[in-house]
Amino acid sequence: MYALEVKNLSKNFNGIKAVDDASFIVPEGSVFGLIGRNGAGKTTTIRMMMNIYVPDSGEVILRGTKIGQEFKDKVGYLPEERGLYKKMKVMDTLLFLAELKGKTGKAVERKALNYLKRFDLAERKNSKIEDLSKGNQQKIQFIAAILHDPEFLIFDEPFAGLDPINTDLLKDIILEKKEEGKVIIFSTHLMDFAEKLSDHIAMIDHGKIILQGSLSEIKSEFAQRNVTLEAVGDLSFLDSEAFVEKVENFGNTVAIKVKEASQTQDLLKLLIQNDVKVNKFAANEISLHEIFVTVAGKDANNVK
Amino acid sequence: MLNRRTITIIKRELKVRLFSRTFIIMTLLIPVFMFGILGLQTFLFHYSDTENAFLIVASESQMILDNVQSELLGAPKNKDGNIEFMFEKMNKEKVTIRLNNIRSDILEEKITGLIFIPGEALKNKKVEYYSKNPNNNVLLNKIRPPINQVLTDMYFVGRQLSGEELEFAKNNVDFNGFRISSDKEIKEEGIGNTILSFLFTFLLYMSLIFTGQMTMTSVIEEKSNKIVEVLLSSVSSRELMTGKIIGTAITALVQMAIWLSPLIILISTTWFVLPPEFTLKLSMWHLLFFMLNYFIALITFLGLFATVGSIFDNPQDAQSGIWPIMMLIIIPFFIAIGMQTNPENQIARIASFVPFASLIIMPARITLVDIPLMQLILSIAINIAVMIFIFILAGKIYRVGILITGKKPKWSEVVKWFRYNY
Repeated sequence: MYALEVKNLSKNFNGIKAVDDASFIVPEGSVFGLIGRNGAGKTTTIRMMMNIYVPDSGEVILRGTKIGQEFKDKVGYLPEERGLYKKMKVMDTLLFLAELKGKTGKAVERKALNYLKRFDLAERKNSKIEDLSKGNQQKIQFIAAILHDPEFLIFDEPFAGLDPINTDLLKDIILEKKEEGKVIIFSTHLMDFAEKLSDHIAMIDHGKIILQGSLSEIKSEFAQRNVTLEAVGDLSFLDSEAFVEKVENFGNTVAIKVKEASQTQDLLKLLIQNDVKVNKFAANEISLHEIFVTVAGKDANNVK
Repeated sequence: MLNRRTITIIKRELKVRLFSRTFIIMTLLIPVFMFGILGLQTFLFHYSDTENAFLIVASESQMILDNVQSELLGAPKNKDGNIEFMFEKMNKEKVTIRLNNIRSDILEEKITGLIFIPGEALKNKKVEYYSKNPNNNVLLNKIRPPINQVLTDMYFVGRQLSGEELEFAKNNVDFNGFRISSDKEIKEEGIGNTILSFLFTFLLYMSLIFTGQMTMTSVIEEKSNKIVEVLLSSVSSRELMTGKIIGTAITALVQMAIWLSPLIILISTTWFVLPPEFTLKLSMWHLLFFMLNYFIALITFLGLFATVGSIFDNPQDAQSGIWPIMMLIIIPFFIAIGMQTNPENQIARIASFVPFASLIIMPARITLVDIPLMQLILSIAINIAVMIFIFILAGKIYRVGILITGKKPKWSEVVKWFRYNY
């Protein structure tokens, strides 16, 4: 059984399809990346998974049963647009948000204090939120998301607007929670982060899921006929070569796709014959970005 | 509806609202403000600037002049200013000449005015007053009774009437109000209940507007703070709205109970005795009705204010959205105030069953006249029905509104939100 199963979700806003028949699965214990450019439908999908939006059609299945209010108690959620009550004190904020999830008492308070100590904020527990720096407010937000020890962590664009220190902190939290066997779902338009952190992904574009599955499987499937090349010299002769299917120039690197997996050796020979200085020739390697471009098409180049 | 999550929201609202400095300040400030407005109005109404009033009293009859002189100078001095008089015997033509001579003095306010009492006045009581400001009622109200007294006395002199008979003739009819109610006993009515109905109306008006604005601001704050999405990851929008409204309503009820506590002490103990003209006909049932009605009013109006808050991202834009709601409070307020001269007028009767208006008018009416129980039940039933309707409606707009930021939505868009499947 999967931890979470998203089945045929659709959502319209004023006749515009924000999410169009989206289906994907999140296995137990996975770090799951929902990837797509801005406006692709990531936040809408996540809000439907959180039961904040009611889908027009489709459903979200949690370990075999349809999600409802009880799912919210099991989730730690970090929305894309972060915010807290400005006038509320740090500890009061944490305890209030934990109480909404059904966790009360001394144990939660101790735990909150431990997290505050770990994040260097213990002495600020009685400060008002508005008196903290933006970076520290973000830390409070992370703590609030994990304080009730949720089974699922759902982070919407978690790295947007974070300074490097908080970025590392958040990565640590994600890895730590993964070790504990929790399910982590995050959305991002940053392919780099997604590639480094996630083991399962779904790519969303124009509201549609265009690719999904285990990252390693996807990569090996796409990499077989792919070569990543770093080279100096004129590569225009490749365009007329029959066994070359596609050439994409990314500036520093060039991605070349051949028709058959066995033809990568022919490609290397050809490059040397044509006096191209090869600095790096990597067969069977492909970045998530390249995969995204391949799947989403040319206009996807603006995604980093 | 009142589940664990809603109760957590209510608890937070109470912590922020009830146990806050603002609560104490507002609880003290609103009565001060209310009596301040009343006091200011009374002060402005009675404010007189007659300190240096200087009047020429003229008549062609020496007898009138003498009598007026002794009456005016014999009158007790007014606290707030002295009026000086000069008495001159002259006829109408001389008055015209005299006025020409003193025109500049009158314009410069060295002389306040000239009162001419013609001999004819003994028959028709018509007196002429020449002044830069002939409509100074404060001054005239002071001068009128003594002159009236003199003219009346002189009219009856020689008609063989005793002083007692004269007194009787001069007296106005004095109505003593007795209220017939379902009680067996008929009680003499004081002005206590009129004051009370004013008090009820004013408190309702002020506190609905204050708590309403407060709720609206706090919804806008949650929206612009972006905390709303964090909250929605734990609670549903309905639980959030319910919790907020109930939390604020409890706070407002506690506040009202504090304001009404002197009344509760007054009717339930014998510690204080009111002078008979202020006697109150008030029972615990009145107060209970008032509180129940207030609770319904709070839920109804806070629902509306919260909805407006959810539609807009900032208080400036929201101002354009609250005027229709303000009208629903202000118009009934004026009807209720106007009703105090005749609580059984047709508008008041009808308005006390009209949704929204009923919430403000009925409490004032029950203090002034006996309302049959069935009518009270009917008004409560109407108001509860409206409350439920508004609550459902508010919930539908609220759940969409709180997640929409950016440009100010058009009303036509808001109407579409009803149909959204959020």
